[in-house]
Amino acid sequence: MSALSVNRALTLLLLIALVAAPPLLGWMEVDFWLVVLTEILIWGLLASSANLLFGQVGLLSFGQALYFGFGMYGVAIGIDRFGLGLWPAMGLGIAASLGMAAVAGLVAVRLTWHYFAIITVVFSLIFYFLALRLKPITGGDDGLSFAAPPILDWGSLRLTLGDDATQYWFVLLIVVLAFALQARLRASALGRAFAAVREGERKASLLGIDVLRVRWIAFVIAGGLAGLAGALFALFGRYASATHMYYTVSGEAVVWTVLGGAGTLLGPAIGAALLILVREELSTVWEHYPLIVGALTIAVVVFAPKGIAGGWNLMLARVLGR
Amino acid sequence: MQDIVILALNGLAWGLIIALIALGLSVIFGLLDVINVAHGDFFMVGTVLAWVAVDVTGSFAIALVLVPLFGLLLGAVTERIAIRPVLSTIVLTVVSTHGLGLMLQEGVRATFGATPRRLLAPVGGTVTLPGGVLYDTYRLVAAGAAALALLAFFAFQQRTRFGTWMRAVRHDRETAMTLGIPVQRVQLMTFSIGAGLALLGGVIAAPITTVDFRAGIEILPTCFMAVIIGGLGNLPGTAAAAVLLAVTEGVVSAVLDPSAARIVSLCLMSAVLFLRPHGLFAGARA
Repeated sequence: MSALSVNRALTLLLLIALVAAPPLLGWMEVDFWLVVLTEILIWGLLASSANLLFGQVGLLSFGQALYFGFGMYGVAIGIDRFGLGLWPAMGLGIAASLGMAAVAGLVAVRLTWHYFAIITVVFSLIFYFLALRLKPITGGDDGLSFAAPPILDWGSLRLTLGDDATQYWFVLLIVVLAFALQARLRASALGRAFAAVREGERKASLLGIDVLRVRWIAFVIAGGLAGLAGALFALFGRYASATHMYYTVSGEAVVWTVLGGAGTLLGPAIGAALLILVREELSTVWEHYPLIVGALTIAVVVFAPKGIAGGWNLMLARVLGR
Repeated sequence: MQDIVILALNGLAWGLIIALIALGLSVIFGLLDVINVAHGDFFMVGTVLAWVAVDVTGSFAIALVLVPLFGLLLGAVTERIAIRPVLSTIVLTVVSTHGLGLMLQEGVRATFGATPRRLLAPVGGTVTLPGGVLYDTYRLVAAGAAALALLAFFAFQQRTRFGTWMRAVRHDRETAMTLGIPVQRVQLMTFSIGAGLALLGGVIAAPITTVDFRAGIEILPTCFMAVIIGGLGNLPGTAAAAVLLAVTEGVVSAVLDPSAARIVSLCLMSAVLFLRPHGLFAGARA
């Protein structure tokens, strides 16, 4: 059995467990975890956008919160101000984040590592302060609350986010599709071009790869993924606020990615899941749980620099004798 | 007019303090290549410890001496635990310092509390400046103290053997190593000095800002802006950029408001990054 087939089987098991989670958690009478799980899926998607840039193309972005924020405000403003339905509002959010990423990307991809990391923070800070200032549009500090329109309304068949299980399946469906898209991307010619650019810019350009263009494409896709996560987050909380656009949110996405295993498909989501579960478990027991989260973060980086998924793959390779 | 003068002076005082903190950031970056995300929290710990030291001993002078010394220790411990083990994969240091920042913030919240506090200035009152402008005495003292510390650091770097080692390792690590310079020790000391500068900035700033466990995340972007506009690793450039930024922000906030001023300086910074990636003062490298 190869490492790949073990991982495939595990991914399938995980998927089955995720789909069956609502009745399972209901049966165990711990329904509250369903909401936590929904949140984990959304943050895992945001982390995967940081991972696409860092793990696959080698660009460390500290500004994914900007595109997350555009997706979030796109949904909130679409529903609250324009009276759009759920799907058009999501479309608006994703289009806004893709557009923003397309413009910001033109500048950002010309810079590399330190400079790239910093310009992404700078862009996101500019829009964070703009969002705070443009109170009539964004609600500033107070944010925007809205009532979520139904997911589906076909006569007798009416699905709404008001039901926790429906909301969970809705988020799960979209997040799974987004991850499937990323899996396809990895196997594609574009995905291999990403890896070539990450491993050596000069070599890649000698192979005829247009490095700037490849970086820009990755930047826009990552912006779209972050925007999708932001759109889902707005629907999940029925709320959008500038606080979710601050650079600390981008930082968390990077931390989840590295903890889970940068460059792996599911690592970022695993990292997000781990830290959010730790938070949920510990926050009830001890108010100052971030002390443990911080210590854990340092410990993982020092002792398992390839992250959880990376460590797992190494172990698997050793056990299978390769 | 008087308002503008006062805001420009506020900008100058605040800019010199920022320069001190940003200098720490820049020293660490220039020598170790580490983006220290916890640097703002080092500053915050400085303000908090200053408050505590004054509360316990009643003397600001004691705080001014003890807190930066503690900063040196904190920096050295950090380097050993969270920096050196991951130095081979430089990007991981961003993550480990993020974890450290979280611990510092929460550690302060757990012990010092979540309510912001104020520290009374050790020298109160106002002075009349030429032109009849009334101005806070302590702010002038703070500006002077920060400027003095900046000069002392540059003297240390230019005049002492250790300072020469620091410059050598920053310039070319491999050659420095072959010349017998203890690179690891230089790295440890550099991180330690960087942290010490941040805590010193914290002590000086404590009476003119709020002492709060969130102060670190608020100040970090400004320090980064100074480092970038000044040029990554260019120390005098960083100091000049910090003052320039703070004075500009001070004057712009007089006309518009603070968040507009912040947007202006961020746009300035993107322009610098794009047009002059080695900083506004490239060529004046020390």
